[in-house]
Amino acid sequence: MGEDGESPKLNHSFLRDYVTEADVISTVEFNQTGDLLATGDKGGRVVIFQREAENVKPHISGEYNVYSTFQSHEPDFDYLKSLEIEEKINKIRWLPQQNAAHFLLSTNDKTIKLWKVSERDRRPEGYNLKDEEGRLKDISTVTSLQVPVLKPTDLMVEVRPRRVFANGHTYHINSISVNSDGETYLSADDLRINMWHLDITDRSFNIVDIKPANMEDLTEVITAAEFHPHHCHLFVYSSSKGTLRLCDMRASALCDKHAKIFEEPEDPGNRSFFSEIISSVSDVKFSHSGRYLLTRDYLTVKVWDLNMEKGPVETYQVHEYLRSKLCSLYENDCIFDKFECVWNSTDSVIMTGAYNSFFRMFDRETGRGVTLEAWRESSKPRAVLRTRRVYTGGRRRRGDVGVDSLDFTKKILHMAWHPAENIIAIAATNNLYIFQDRVNPENQ
Amino acid sequence: MEYKVEAHRIMSISLGKIYNSRVQRGGIKLHKNLLVSLVLRSARQVYLSDYYSGVCLNTQHVEAKEWELMDSNQEKPLTPAPEESLSPSTDCNQNPEVPVVPEDPEVQHTSQAVEDSTDLHSVSSKHQAEEESSSEDSTTDVSLTSSPVTCESQCEAKGAEVSSSDCEADANPATVTEGNSQQPPKAHSCSNRKRTAEKTASNDSPVKRTKVTSSNSSEEEAEEMDTGNVSNLITIFGSSFSGLLTKESSEPEAETEDSDSGSGQICCDQMLKNLNPWSTAIVAF
Repeated sequence: MGEDGESPKLNHSFLRDYVTEADVISTVEFNQTGDLLATGDKGGRVVIFQREAENVKPHISGEYNVYSTFQSHEPDFDYLKSLEIEEKINKIRWLPQQNAAHFLLSTNDKTIKLWKVSERDRRPEGYNLKDEEGRLKDISTVTSLQVPVLKPTDLMVEVRPRRVFANGHTYHINSISVNSDGETYLSADDLRINMWHLDITDRSFNIVDIKPANMEDLTEVITAAEFHPHHCHLFVYSSSKGTLRLCDMRASALCDKHAKIFEEPEDPGNRSFFSEIISSVSDVKFSHSGRYLLTRDYLTVKVWDLNMEKGPVETYQVHEYLRSKLCSLYENDCIFDKFECVWNSTDSVIMTGAYNSFFRMFDRETGRGVTLEAWRESSKPRAVLRTRRVYTGGRRRRGDVGVDSLDFTKKILHMAWHPAENIIAIAATNNLYIFQDRVNPENQ
Repeated sequence: MEYKVEAHRIMSISLGKIYNSRVQRGGIKLHKNLLVSLVLRSARQVYLSDYYSGVCLNTQHVEAKEWELMDSNQEKPLTPAPEESLSPSTDCNQNPEVPVVPEDPEVQHTSQAVEDSTDLHSVSSKHQAEEESSSEDSTTDVSLTSSPVTCESQCEAKGAEVSSSDCEADANPATVTEGNSQQPPKAHSCSNRKRTAEKTASNDSPVKRTKVTSSNSSEEEAEEMDTGNVSNLITIFGSSFSGLLTKESSEPEAETEDSDSGSGQICCDQMLKNLNPWSTAIVAF
């Protein structure tokens, strides 16, 4: 795979030794065509990258350049509970494009916003009552009437908030998912899932509520939720206990009863203090086909077949060498890291992140995994990515990294795969890496 | 002994995390606190189970019915524990000052039976053994110290990695769900701890949990048993009372000093004692 260069954040904070907390990327998402790539950060900003049109450089796939930047969410305060509400963007989801404008949903812990991204490359000129700067003209100077005309100007990208969906959630929102019907979307927090209509901001339907009557009986929370890519009545949500529940909205208004529940019995040999933490599912994604589910827990990624509830059909070890280090990872909070997982466009490869700026790809056909690194020092633009290895025993090769020398502050939590091509976007703290496969740009 | 020290360390760390979560930006994260409370609960079970499993070594099997026996003997198993906990250091690798009795093959064999067998032995023999053990504190001490040694040897036999987290592996025999034999002991010890910690218990939830556990020895029940203190934490943090800030701030500072595990033990008890007044807190959510 070739690398297409990095796109630094605007304030070039990578030049400093430390990373400004606000610049840490917290979500990455391609739109449905893959021409636009949106990132959200902890400071509440959204940066949209656009792929250069291919006809500009015919033999080189387009590069991604900054298209627009805007402040999506601001720090907020809940006066009733004396709680600060972080402006960190938890998720961005694009709506399918219906006209020239693009729409995306961005959410922080409490509020979801619908943004309209549109281009303006013309402006009207020649008003009768206003001059070029918009100031009112002195009427006495107007001697004739003119018809304003549209003149081309420099391209301007305008981003406007079109809807604000507020006050729907008591707990922290962890997921949003746009329905295939194009009209509704769901938002999930720790205990509830709401369904919204894109045009209606003052009401939402509560479709899942797992809050117990007595909070003392709380044993699990919702960790992620997603609509089925084709069936607008189906959605899945994952829990902190490692279970997945598929719900059918046709069955009842409140989908507390699942249509299917997917769980794998725990391996008693691996039991430890931290078994519950590492079985918590941090991300769930439907395959593009809609037949499979991909889940990520702390040490593995698993592929589930919707037709088989008793266990995953495939399990891949992401970093099994960390199993003996769970105690230290608990102390430094790394065990709570929520890694995302993604499918490629043909559902033949799955990818997820790890530590030390490593990310892993698994080929489902061969069952083999490869470790790659997203680190500026070792990769130059257009350089070929080398595979890396973590040394866990046996013969040590040059370039192997020992488990104890892994940098746990460099974690790859967020990533996205282009919907049609082999282009991936990897967020590494405050840097965004975009890698393209030059050998096989299209998918087989 | 090491796994007990490790369990205690994990408990202190967990409590520290829960405390820190309250001052974190963005409010309390329910998911993380739930996970931390689960770890806290597991660590507590291990921490409290060691002296209890020491008692088991001298007995036949523990059964759900023995619950009721424990109710009558609730005071006795507690006395060895505070004595013992005062001596060991916090360092995982240091040996406890309580002399480690060389492994008694008889004791080892019994513990093996505890580990592997899922048969329930007669209640009467257990009752008898308990009376024996309660009459002699020194015997209890011996059995208590030999149990971690035994557990350790078992772990080594299983080929567990000897690392900083070997305490986890050591804890496995205690927490592994190898039949019902392990569950009631933990349940017992937890309930006892709860009773001493919550002397001013105003509700009948401890009593209720006793009855629930005695009827069903499944692991879920044992966990539910223990939710008393831990789930109170969830309630408290779910309600995010500002009054809690002043009350709790005095405790975790004392808890986080790791140098003296004895004071850590006492502070844990204090913490758990003070949870009781908040057990009736209304969840603001």
